[in-house]
Amino acid sequence: MTNFIFVAAIILFSLSIALLLIRVLKGPTLPDRVVAFDVIGVNLISIVAVLSVVLRTKAYLEVILIIAILAFISTIAFSKYIERGRIIDRKPDR
Amino acid sequence: MTENQIVELIAALMVLLGSIMALISAYGILSLPDVYTRSHAGTKSSTLAVLLALTGVFIFFWSAEHYVSIRLVLGIVFLYLTAPVAGHLICRAAYNSEAEMKDGTGENSFRYSSPQKKKNSID
Amino acid sequence: MPVQFLLNLLIAVLWVFLKDADTFKIPDFVTGFLIGVVIIFLMHRFFGTPFYLKRAYSMLKLLWIFNYELWTSSILIMKQILLPSATFEPGTFSYETKLKSDWEVTALALLLMLTPGSVVLRISPEGNVFYIHAMDVKDSKPILLKSIQMYEKIILEVTRP
Repeated sequence: MTNFIFVAAIILFSLSIALLLIRVLKGPTLPDRVVAFDVIGVNLISIVAVLSVVLRTKAYLEVILIIAILAFISTIAFSKYIERGRIIDRKPDR
Repeated sequence: MTENQIVELIAALMVLLGSIMALISAYGILSLPDVYTRSHAGTKSSTLAVLLALTGVFIFFWSAEHYVSIRLVLGIVFLYLTAPVAGHLICRAAYNSEAEMKDGTGENSFRYSSPQKKKNSID
Repeated sequence: MPVQFLLNLLIAVLWVFLKDADTFKIPDFVTGFLIGVVIIFLMHRFFGTPFYLKRAYSMLKLLWIFNYELWTSSILIMKQILLPSATFEPGTFSYETKLKSDWEVTALALLLMLTPGSVVLRISPEGNVFYIHAMDVKDSKPILLKSIQMYEKIILEVTRP
């Protein structure tokens, strides 16, 4: 019974990732796509967590932290690129 | 039903509730008209959905396998702290790069005035 | 303020030593900590600074408000997505705050990000003025202004007790 509920949750999360992919492909401006990517990353974290419950293993729990950190840093890098045109500034004083 | 089974059922229902909220928020990002409103949906309800799902998984691992996994707690705290900040950064980048804002009232008299790309830094 | 906390820890450790058990047990430490709280509460007027648990209590209240705002804002957004009457009008407005230091402005900006229906767009370089984008300007603006004043009061309680 609980196994069935977890499998249904995985299907719903995958459906939401599919809907967000449509927004990534369609979005007229670049910040649209970055917002959708961030939410895709966050949903991917929960799919990995629920999958590790269905398969009864503890080996996938470190992947969650890595995906979270990478999604956050890539969102920051994108927003810095949009604002200024380069990610790492050469001169320290603005 | 034994007590362990009740706790497992509660954890499963939490994960299901989180997945339904994630689906609704994904539909919202698809159908809302503007970049700024989409980032509303992306930071608030999406974060809560995934936090609920991760808490459900944590409770399940605690009761079914007696394994308190500290990595899930770290993931929950990290997501709680950083997802709104990322949403704010992308919203500010969209505003500074003059993305189109669909609004009904004329209340934004300061829009696109003094972009000040040099002074308004990330940190 | 940290003096009170260190004294409390010292009383707890002394209690563990006085109990004279074979190994270090956690319930002994917790009992010592609680006795230290009572002793310092009875003597806190001699220290000159307010009782340090008040600041811990204010921090707990701030955390609880973070959680509560997260839940209410998510429910409001879901209601706005699902109901087919798209009568909300997005708009922006600005707000001038009286908080000064970096921590307070950051905490207020995070709280504003999590309130129902508002997203922080930009903070002015002096750190005083917030530009806020709201989903529904006509309905949410008075509610938001009232909530912001409540947040300022609670944040001031934490940093200047």
